[in-house]
Amino acid sequence: MNEKLVSVLAEVFNLQPDQIVPELTKENVGSWDSLKQMDLVISLERQYGVTLQVEDIIQLVSVAKIAEVLKRKGVDLGD
Amino acid sequence: MEIKGAVALVTGGANGLGLAIATFLSEQGAHVVVGDLDEDALSGLGGEFDHHVLDVTCPDNVTKVVNDIVKKHGRIDILVNNAGVIFNEPLVNIMNPEGMIHDYTRFRNSIAVNLDSVFLMTGAVVEHMIKGRTKGCIVNISSISARGNEGQTAYSAAKSGVNAMTVTWSKELGRMGIRCNAIAPGFINTGSTNSALTETTINHIVANTPVRRLGEAKEVAQAVVSVISNDFINGTILEVNGGITI
Ligand SMILES: NC(=O)c1ccc[n+]([C@@H]2O[C@H](COP(=O)([O-])OP(=O)(O)OC[C@H]3O[C@@H](n4cnc5c(N)ncnc54)[C@H](O)[C@@H]3O)[C@@H](O)[C@H]2O)c1
Repeated sequence: MNEKLVSVLAEVFNLQPDQIVPELTKENVGSWDSLKQMDLVISLERQYGVTLQVEDIIQLVSVAKIAEVLKRKGVDLGD
Repeated sequence: MEIKGAVALVTGGANGLGLAIATFLSEQGAHVVVGDLDEDALSGLGGEFDHHVLDVTCPDNVTKVVNDIVKKHGRIDILVNNAGVIFNEPLVNIMNPEGMIHDYTRFRNSIAVNLDSVFLMTGAVVEHMIKGRTKGCIVNISSISARGNEGQTAYSAAKSGVNAMTVTWSKELGRMGIRCNAIAPGFINTGSTNSALTETTINHIVANTPVRRLGEAKEVAQAVVSVISNDFINGTILEVNGGITI
């Protein structure tokens, strides 16, 4: 997985980098509530210079989906 | 104040913290009356306490139940305003585009059960205390959320209001020998905590609590008894939280 994305998500969710895998979903992360979602949006926008709309935000429900949305926004995750 | 022989009304006393408070007051020799909306839990209490079906958000019901208790027991010396409902909803839920902003009806309901209830109960009980020249004690169960807790707009606002009313009433009623204090529990090991919070969140809270555990209901009950027993404690918001701050 993209190293930068791993470190951004590990920081947002307060997890170890090796816990950040594509299969990780909102349901597996106890702290991933709507407030955490705002932290996530702000971090992604700041780190990748993208602007996320509500339609994008509601899709950010797993690590795989986050990567998918970023790629759609033109972010190169190197894969 | 002497707890032995005092008449104590505990709202929401059929479950959780209220039940622990009612039990501990009874162990200290108080005549405990429990008022609660949960009829099944009330009947489960058996003959342990005198009990009444009570909706603390309903003014007519509050007046009737308080009058009935005074008629039967002659007076109410202690009122523990414990009935309340922990409620979580952030101002903005970015994950719910259809209803992104905090629902107003749910806001009002949380304020009704956690704040209006304390106003209604205390007014009804204090009227009897004043008329009967009872030197009584009011204990409001607040929460550390009163400081403002993310995800709890309505609940924090309500509990903060409870703290403000506690201090106000301590100043207004002290001259009549009626004291008013609040206990603000932190995270206590109760069914309501376990259903309001995920296991991960509870683990995180425990890790951030200096004593490294949740509180026990009995520890809240002990705090209630302390503020009742000590006649110079008035207008205090006593946090029982293991040292955690939010
Ligand atoms: N459990 C905690 O960790 C915690 C922490 C801080 C504050 N508190 C406060 O402690 C109090 C008790 O909470 P708990 O955890 O024991 O909850 P609980 O849900 O176990 O008990 C609350 C009781 O109040 C009753 N109740 C609810 N609405 C009522 C109404 N309209 N009229 C009469 N009774 C009603 C319920 O039937 C129940 O018996 C609440 O005020 C809560 O805000 C709890």
